[in-house]
Amino acid sequence: MHPDGQWDPVFLHGRREAAVIFVVWIVLLLWTVPYCYLFGYGDAIDPAALDTVLGVPSWIFWGVAAPWIAANLFTFWFCAHYMVDDDLGEEST
Amino acid sequence: MKDNAALYTFCAYIAGVFFLAWVANRLLRDRSFLSEYFLGSRGLGVWAFALTFAATSASGGSFTGFPSRVYAHGWVMALWIASYMVVPICMMGLLGKRLNQVARKTSAITVPDVLRDRFESAAFGLLATALLVFFLSFNLVAQFKAGSLILKTLLDGVTTFHTTAFALAGISGSFSWLEGVDPEYLLCLVTFGIVVVAYTTYGGFHAVVWTDVMQGIVMVFGVLVMLPLALYQVGGVEQATREMARMVPPQQGTVTVSLESAPGADYLIPAGTWMATAANGDNSGSDRIFRTNRTIVIAAGTARTAQVPVTEIRTPEEKERLGLQVDARLRLSNLELRPYAYGAETPGTYVSGPGPSRTSASGFLPLSLAFSFFFMWAIAGTGQPPNFVRLMAFRNARTLRRAIVTVAVYYSLIYFPLVIIFCCARILLPGMEGESDRIMPAMALHLTSSIGHGWLGGLLVAAPFAAVMSTVDSLLLMISSALVRDVYQRNVNRRAPEVRIRRLSYACTMAVGLGALIASVNPPPFLQDIIVYTGSGLAACFLGPTLYALYWPRANAAGCIAGMAAGFLAHLGSYAAGAFVHGSFFIPYRPLDLDPIILGLLASFATTPLVTLRTAPPPGKLVRRYFYRDS
Repeated sequence: MHPDGQWDPVFLHGRREAAVIFVVWIVLLLWTVPYCYLFGYGDAIDPAALDTVLGVPSWIFWGVAAPWIAANLFTFWFCAHYMVDDDLGEEST
Repeated sequence: MKDNAALYTFCAYIAGVFFLAWVANRLLRDRSFLSEYFLGSRGLGVWAFALTFAATSASGGSFTGFPSRVYAHGWVMALWIASYMVVPICMMGLLGKRLNQVARKTSAITVPDVLRDRFESAAFGLLATALLVFFLSFNLVAQFKAGSLILKTLLDGVTTFHTTAFALAGISGSFSWLEGVDPEYLLCLVTFGIVVVAYTTYGGFHAVVWTDVMQGIVMVFGVLVMLPLALYQVGGVEQATREMARMVPPQQGTVTVSLESAPGADYLIPAGTWMATAANGDNSGSDRIFRTNRTIVIAAGTARTAQVPVTEIRTPEEKERLGLQVDARLRLSNLELRPYAYGAETPGTYVSGPGPSRTSASGFLPLSLAFSFFFMWAIAGTGQPPNFVRLMAFRNARTLRRAIVTVAVYYSLIYFPLVIIFCCARILLPGMEGESDRIMPAMALHLTSSIGHGWLGGLLVAAPFAAVMSTVDSLLLMISSALVRDVYQRNVNRRAPEVRIRRLSYACTMAVGLGALIASVNPPPFLQDIIVYTGSGLAACFLGPTLYALYWPRANAAGCIAGMAAGFLAHLGSYAAGAFVHGSFFIPYRPLDLDPIILGLLASFATTPLVTLRTAPPPGKLVRRYFYRDS
């Protein structure tokens, strides 16, 4: 144990949760932008034979809509199972 | 708008806002005034917290600028806004729990309160207050102007509105400082300003939160009604995408419009009138189709106009369809049209990246900008002090968890559907590139007129007005709290009685609001640029020091003050250098293509630890208080 006592669990949980969120942000950035660039920019698209998924250009579907759904699923899981219901304390007087 | 539906909807909406302010004011009577007035006594539940957060972050741009950009650039806008998939969890999850806890430890009410108490540094509190007031005041004026312009669009065509504005022109004409001010804009500014200042002053934070909730519901309702109507009229997303794949960007420029003979009375040509001429310009055919960008008048006794702005449709299928609607009496000459810098005459640009651009040969969203925007929405959004205030106001961690999910669903229901709706608008309302800022009200009215519910059109058009209103009320209260709490109560008179604080809070909120209203009578140009400058500047100043203050026990006042100052100076320096290099403050200098916000954040994040590690560690009692279990 540290001479000053035990770390505040809200600090520890908050820092751990922030790190996970940051990693997920990086993963989604590296999925979304490079995918769209490789499959949706310039010569990658032939307007006469455009691939679509549910009516949306396929590069938008797999590059934006799919990670968006994944991000929402992660958010549900993170808030339901990972984020800790810490006691945030009472108002100081 | 051909009836008063928009006016009735607007009046009902305002009545709702004032009712909520009245209820909020009653709450003020039994609680600690400052905590209740500026923070809602830290008691926000899930729905109030989620919707006030979402509505405040959304701002007017989501319902004016964003639809306009989707219309102008097509499907690539889904990538432009893609970072909103992580915005809720970033903005609320990165800081929320710790910020709320640290604020509770000292009963902090404002953002400068938190920073000052965290390091027991009055200097840090005052620096934070000064920067907040600086940035938010500029932003407030810009938002007042935006709100007034949206209201003007909302009420366009309402007879009562035009006659009142006409009467106001007679009165304002006698004041020299109002000379040249559009009376319709002035009427909207006064109406918008008085409504926002009144309900914010009277009801405080709870009024702002509850009106945000109402405004948030109006926004999502608007989108969810428009989506099926748009898809039904276009024939589905697939049909919209296929038609967009065949489109090529229009040309924009000016033409001279004339009649065969001079009219006896002024001849009005409304905005949106279709005109045609032959390919060689000799009026013998309709190979080239044009749309007027604004209402023009051929004066009595003259047969022609000066050069007027038009948009020329270049997609063959559209030309064929629109050729049937042209006003055959109009003749065109002196055609001066410019092709797009990227995408001209190229089918497929509306369904691929980087999207068509009128001005940039690299297209609308080149790879570097796509990365920048993904970074900016999530990370810069996390550093906005108006969002910090909401993070200090929720009730408990359970509320935070549920609110993050709620906002994630809310943004998913707003932003991706908006892309689909305004891609459909390209097909339903072609040729509006010259006035694309009006695409939201134009689309709302187009969609609802076909089903015969004018009131619904009014309600849909109220969505952008609601968005800008919810941003303005938050800014107003933040500036007021900075002056009353952070300057007066904490530095001038610590023992000020509550009745004086109460009066000062009311007076300050009203004075700041009226000051912004007066400044907005002749607002500076570059509206959107000011909003971008202030938003990115706040993030550059506040994100780094706040993150270090919450998560790094070794952080000290000197390091965080240096980090905040470095963020401010690097960001400002980028804009100031732009003034020398490009001749305009609002075209920042971007070394290595880096946006000012990235430079500011890099400077702030690097300077804070450098200075911290070269200065004395923070007092042990502060580290124990904020990082260890209460003994």
